[in-house]
Amino acid sequence: MRERFKVRGGLCVAALQLCAFLCAPAATAQEWTTSLVDIHQGSPLSDRARGLGNGGYELQSGSWVSFNRWYHASWVDMHVDLLTQITPETGILWGLGTGEQGEKYSIAPSLKLGFLTQAHLNPNSSLSLSVASIIGGSLTEKPCVADYGDLGTYSVNCRLAAGETAPEETLKYLVNARPETMHLWLNYRLTF
Amino acid sequence: MSVNSLKFGLAAALAILSAPIVSAQEALSPDEMAALCHGGGSICVSATTPVARTTQAVQSWMSLDVGAAWAAGYKGKGVTITIVDDFSSTSRFSGNFGIGVQTQRHGEWTREEASMIAPSATIRSKDFSTGSAVPLAAGRNVLNLSYGMYTTAGYSVNQIGWAPEEASIISYATRGSAVVSKAAGNDAVAVGGVTGGQQDYLDLALIGKSTAIFVGALSTNGTTANKAQLAWYSDYAGSNPLVQSHFLVVGVEGDKTGLYGTSFAAPIISGYAAIIGSKFTKATPVQITNDLFNTARTDTLANYDPSIYGKGEASLSRALAPVAIK
Repeated sequence: MRERFKVRGGLCVAALQLCAFLCAPAATAQEWTTSLVDIHQGSPLSDRARGLGNGGYELQSGSWVSFNRWYHASWVDMHVDLLTQITPETGILWGLGTGEQGEKYSIAPSLKLGFLTQAHLNPNSSLSLSVASIIGGSLTEKPCVADYGDLGTYSVNCRLAAGETAPEETLKYLVNARPETMHLWLNYRLTF
Repeated sequence: MSVNSLKFGLAAALAILSAPIVSAQEALSPDEMAALCHGGGSICVSATTPVARTTQAVQSWMSLDVGAAWAAGYKGKGVTITIVDDFSSTSRFSGNFGIGVQTQRHGEWTREEASMIAPSATIRSKDFSTGSAVPLAAGRNVLNLSYGMYTTAGYSVNQIGWAPEEASIISYATRGSAVVSKAAGNDAVAVGGVTGGQQDYLDLALIGKSTAIFVGALSTNGTTANKAQLAWYSDYAGSNPLVQSHFLVVGVEGDKTGLYGTSFAAPIISGYAAIIGSKFTKATPVQITNDLFNTARTDTLANYDPSIYGKGEASLSRALAPVAIK
């Protein structure tokens, strides 16, 4: 489940204040204004990483290994999206993602870049188009080292180490996922 | 007793180890079996009884452990299980492995059971009436022996003139070139013990061999909540440490299948060994055998005692699991 930025409202307010403080001089000098569009924690890849933590298995001794500890992050990927208006009808969308790190996975920091343009078709309607691209932010699952006693020590997919798949084959199932790299929005607004 | 007469005695006492106990002690007629094993080849495959090779569902008679261990992936692939058994006699009996009542020969039952545990394994059938050497397939091999070789008690194993069939099996177990899963016997005696004045000399010959596994039967699959007991008919490990260290037990839930006896315990271990071999593709038969011994459970057994249960109840999921992971 995506962790929206609700409970950390205080931090959100602080970020907005920080933005207002930092953006004000720029707006004065270049007549550009920068607005905070969104701030949230979590992403589809964060959710996916969290999902990998479901389940577990017994070792040969019978002791239980839970996946949760491998796929838990103390800091969930935070995204800040901003819009810098450069003309009355166009703006640059940009933002940052902090990434997150668990013992057996990582989500890399990300950078969002894009633009927004709008056209007023008549006094009551407008058409806007925005395109944004995300650079980085990939989810990478890390392997474990499994000791099978006399049968050897292998680099394995942590989640599949106790299954029937050959240890070396389990590495094929390590998760390597990229975020959605391109977003395209087309909006038509009619006021009546 | 001369060597020749001893050979005859052994052949005449070839006994399958299924239980309906009445039939467990019945010797099949070698001539009758030979007549039905056509072609004189060493491998006689029954073409009349379909094998449930495509049935990959976990059945109620299987250990929960099997279901827990089965995941998408291999289930015995790359390993050959050779069932040395009766595939040619006229003796058939009924049972149900969860896919409907069937009436089959002993070997057809044990073959079906092994194939249900390890559905991706290659299954070969070797009719034991031929007496010819058991060939090994390329790659990893498991031999299933749900029969015994009985004759008058008191001989030394060295006095036995083995047929090429058993000689090859004993050799494989000695050299560690195949996992040999041997039904312990249904006489409620220690492995190799005297019953009715006779002994299973195949048991005796396999004692101390690196890849021999003696398989006893539990009346149920054990859990920590409902611990299992040795089935009333099953042979037990006894006091010999060499047997204890190579003795495993598994549940034979005859109340669900209508099939009782350590004959139906050995194929479960054969299937487990095949699955382990399919996961650890570089493992030797000795390593596969030891993996089963090292991961057997004692906490699922009532009043665990190595002289009864040997190493304990085989656990497929633990045999596949790491010792440690980080």
